[in-house]
Amino acid sequence: MSRLLLILLTFATNVYAASPSSGLEQIAHQHFETYCFDCHDSDTKKGDFDLIGSLDKGDFDSSLLFENLITGKMPPAKKKQPSPEERRSLLAWLAQQQVESTPNSFRRISRHEFVHSVNDLLDTNIDLTNQIPEDRGTYTFDSDRRIQLTKEQLMAYFTAADEMLEFAFPANGFHPETTWVTSSIKESHETYRIYAREHKDGLLFSWMRSNNGRPYPFFYDHFNPPVKGWYDLTFDAAKMGEFPDDISLMVFAGKYFYADDRPQPQHLLKVISLGNEELKSHTVRVFLKPGENVSVHCYSKHTWKQDKGEQGAYIEKLTARGPVFESWPPKSYQTVFAGLPIEAPDRGAHAHITVTAQTEAMRSVIKRFAERAFSSPLSEAELKPYDQVALDHLQAHGDFVAAAKVGIKAIVSSHRFLLVPGEHRNDSFRVAADLARSLWLSVPDQRLHELAARNALNSATLKIELARLLAAPKSKRMIGSLCAQWLNLRSHDNVSPSLKLYPTYNDLLNHYLPIETKSYIAHLIEHNLSVSHLIDSDFSILNQQLAQHYGVDGVIGQKMRKVSFEPDSPRGGLMTMGSVLKVTTDGFDTSPILRGAWVSRNIVGNTLSPPPENIEVIEPDLSKATTLKEQVAEHKKSKSCLSCHKSIDPYGFALESFDATGQWRTQYRVKTEHHATFQYRPEGFFKRGSQVDASGDLGGSKFDNIADLKDLLLVDHTKVAYNFAKILFEYATGSAPSLEHRMDLHEMIPTKAEDCRMRDLVINVLTYSHTRK
Amino acid sequence: MTRKEFLKFGTALPLALHSLNLRAAEKSKTPPKRVMFICNSLGFYETNFFPKTRGDLSTSTYLDGIKTRDKMTVFQNLFHPGMSTSNHDSEKSFLTGAPNPEAASFTNTISLDQLLAQHLGGDTRYPSLPLSIYDRGWGCSWNSRGAAIPPMHDETLIFNTLFGEEDLAAKKQQITNDQNVVRCLYRDMQQLKARGAGASKLDSYRTIIHELEAQLKHEEFWLNAKKPVVNNTLSADSEFAFSTKIKNLLELSKQAFQTDSTRMITFTMDWINGAINVPGATGGWHSFSHHGNQPGTIEKLTRIEVDIMKHLNKFLFDLDQIKEGDGTLLDNTTVVIGSNFGDASNHTHNNLPTIIAGGGYRHQGHTVLKKPTPLCNLHLELLHRHNIDAGSFGSSEQDMRLLKG
Repeated sequence: MSRLLLILLTFATNVYAASPSSGLEQIAHQHFETYCFDCHDSDTKKGDFDLIGSLDKGDFDSSLLFENLITGKMPPAKKKQPSPEERRSLLAWLAQQQVESTPNSFRRISRHEFVHSVNDLLDTNIDLTNQIPEDRGTYTFDSDRRIQLTKEQLMAYFTAADEMLEFAFPANGFHPETTWVTSSIKESHETYRIYAREHKDGLLFSWMRSNNGRPYPFFYDHFNPPVKGWYDLTFDAAKMGEFPDDISLMVFAGKYFYADDRPQPQHLLKVISLGNEELKSHTVRVFLKPGENVSVHCYSKHTWKQDKGEQGAYIEKLTARGPVFESWPPKSYQTVFAGLPIEAPDRGAHAHITVTAQTEAMRSVIKRFAERAFSSPLSEAELKPYDQVALDHLQAHGDFVAAAKVGIKAIVSSHRFLLVPGEHRNDSFRVAADLARSLWLSVPDQRLHELAARNALNSATLKIELARLLAAPKSKRMIGSLCAQWLNLRSHDNVSPSLKLYPTYNDLLNHYLPIETKSYIAHLIEHNLSVSHLIDSDFSILNQQLAQHYGVDGVIGQKMRKVSFEPDSPRGGLMTMGSVLKVTTDGFDTSPILRGAWVSRNIVGNTLSPPPENIEVIEPDLSKATTLKEQVAEHKKSKSCLSCHKSIDPYGFALESFDATGQWRTQYRVKTEHHATFQYRPEGFFKRGSQVDASGDLGGSKFDNIADLKDLLLVDHTKVAYNFAKILFEYATGSAPSLEHRMDLHEMIPTKAEDCRMRDLVINVLTYSHTRK
Repeated sequence: MTRKEFLKFGTALPLALHSLNLRAAEKSKTPPKRVMFICNSLGFYETNFFPKTRGDLSTSTYLDGIKTRDKMTVFQNLFHPGMSTSNHDSEKSFLTGAPNPEAASFTNTISLDQLLAQHLGGDTRYPSLPLSIYDRGWGCSWNSRGAAIPPMHDETLIFNTLFGEEDLAAKKQQITNDQNVVRCLYRDMQQLKARGAGASKLDSYRTIIHELEAQLKHEEFWLNAKKPVVNNTLSADSEFAFSTKIKNLLELSKQAFQTDSTRMITFTMDWINGAINVPGATGGWHSFSHHGNQPGTIEKLTRIEVDIMKHLNKFLFDLDQIKEGDGTLLDNTTVVIGSNFGDASNHTHNNLPTIIAGGGYRHQGHTVLKKPTPLCNLHLELLHRHNIDAGSFGSSEQDMRLLKG
């Protein structure tokens, strides 16, 4: 008791004593004494942590204590446990101790949100995201409230808005739809042209890679899109050869480049899967710009460098048609100028679409657009500046569409659009805007507007609306955005596996790996499956390419579908997905520490302190005589290292069974000496190294491999769910949940794993995020 | 703006409005500082390039005849780290120092010329002028997002861009529209403020709109400013098209500097497959560059390189003939001539041939570094020399103060 008294005396002299929570404080300290002081006093100082001293000095990280307590890391399982009520009082007290940080009351919308919103408002589909600078800096979330809008960003939005408006309503009219056919390819480098050989009426392509390992694209002749827009490319093609799998016809676009035998990167537009069928037309709709040329690369491991014979991808001809519009006049006119006389001449020739209308019509166009963009009804006074800029232009130039474009540009450059929350008539409109932004990265639709107009977005209707928004195809944007940020898949393309070590890695696989993850998470939400699927599962969403990478037989064709794993498969769940395994390496070697820390923090949900400064970095070195594990075992020697690394290294060890491309391995690969210029070869430049040891020890429980580790993690689903809830909260609001918010989030998690379901969790967390006080 | 912010965001056209007003006055006083980068993408044959006797440029086959020899320094033992697996793609890193340009997922970083242009270029019509021989869509200039800035390659188009009459009606209308949009946004803020909308939000936004307005004023200024009148002296010699192209692009560079149309030019001397014709040799420049120490091939490669040196010699001499302030245009222009290859025949990236000419430095003639030194050290020094407070650049280790005076 003397200890407690001492603490209370000390506290009596500082601010805490004056707070109304002193009753709670006393209770909390009693619980600390009962459950924590045995180990964390100044003598024992377990884990190098003296709680008594820290509380005494008022110098402690309340959020770390909070996280350890709420996730059940502390007190350790074998020690005496506080009752749920006792734990809650401790958490509540810690939440009060959190140093107040008031995040900015507003944030700028991200470039993704800008482009999606403007596209939806204009009813266009043009992706200009890459032309707008990434302004996220080192923050994890695009929505982070610490990011300020800058002049550079606004200039970029100005330019993007011009381009999108020009695409929707081109000042010089619409190019007629044209169709052209081509079956010959442009001249290519002598080393490669032998792999596209004449056959019947077209060309037969075999698979080969250029000497730097990149796919070598063959460019079509007579190909020059007249304007930027959407085009239908129809390939009359067939698979040739007696093997079960499909051949992948990869369609690229880029600048024709013959100068070098080392092709410049093209961007992959679409993949066509050629199966066991007769010659058939395959049509893909793609976005092209003038100066871009379409090129093809036909991948099948069975047709490597064949310059004769009858195996490969046969393409008789390519028919291009465009620019195409889903309707005429284009939807953008019907949406923005709804109800006005739109004159659209036939598309046979160059077409100027005109809208003939006057002042009042302009007011209604601006009002409709602005109310959607700002998510609020607007008074005449509020609309006046926007009306005026459009009407001034109309008066000066007499062109209704051109004048509306100026007004619209002002609307999408306004702080009411770019900074959120905007100014909303009632709270329902604010909630509607937040929901649409979180789930669709866009502006509310008509239904949300109607509900908001009645101020009827309350906790009852909200869940129904969230389910509706989630079911819409636009929610794919949220899944993609979440994967990009939470799972860092936006860095996926920044890691390029060494082709010396992993010669089978290719662009097609690189294309599908992140798609697997996004499709899987979408599936979990759509089917409302248990959150434990984040850790382990008996299925994933795969296609032929991914299945081959994972060693799963019998998956033919590149269409993504649900595929069950054999019971003894190490796959299932996020940790063992190629995308995650790849993005946590440098493309050469795997580091159990870096990968372990990443998985531990982002998927398992452990709270880790940043690595201490001034320590020697352990770089795994496969050439050393000691094993990787012995090198990392250095951590065990020091208590202060071990306190964190016991929550890092085990995950990394278990995942050592997967190489930098996510493929299963039992032995390491060691690069062999290779001088002169790198020349790709299918067998790579490596030799077999030491055996992989994927065993370890997680909190006293031994495991032999990843499957064992997953079993250990499945015992407690709440930590994973709680972590996901925190991430979703931060994604949606742009700031990390306070400790009080975290208590609420934790309360939402059902105690049984089978009751803790993904869609429910998403709906509950987003409801909370956007309606919390 | 802190250095970190500067590097993070870059600034498209940094411009204090008052500098526009000061521009005329300032011009008469101190001549502006300019920089030019020339990257010969297939290198120079080392034996002919470097002086055979240390410190004596007259012992270099290529440099002996350079008339402005006393205004240049040749650096030996500079290299680009991180290019181990790289080939011709190393050109992409010439001015950025970004490693592994050959990786499929390579993303570049901002190039030195663009960083300098942000600082030097604000008062000119074109903050930077990237040029190349061919139309490949990329050269040595890369923006702050690591995207290629396509160089201009068509001499007539370049001449017209710099000095020709343009139909500016559409551009002027665009600026007017944007200025109206800005006025609309001010009015909107006014009426919202009257209604008591969030003050901090409005304040932060107003600052940006204000900056945007200044930017538009800057653009308007240049749209309305008359272009300098320059006689078209471009050569049309088609027998030696390659040679003509280099000559013309250097002539345009001289005129652009002379008229203060830009203060930052980057000339990427790129290559494509196929034969070129220079006095004394016909054949593929790329094929010749892989000479494999065959004397016949080296002879032909030398003819091409001698031809290139001839034009560079004239260019430097011409700049030095133009009086400016107390010196010459060359004295106010730092001309960096270099390559991404040390030995193009073997695709190595060490001992990069590097010349710094002009710029008013106390030139050393021939500086041989004791140990292999990242070219980016020199890049960093050039940033510092132009008052850009960068802690590092690309693969730089330190500013070694290799330039004197």
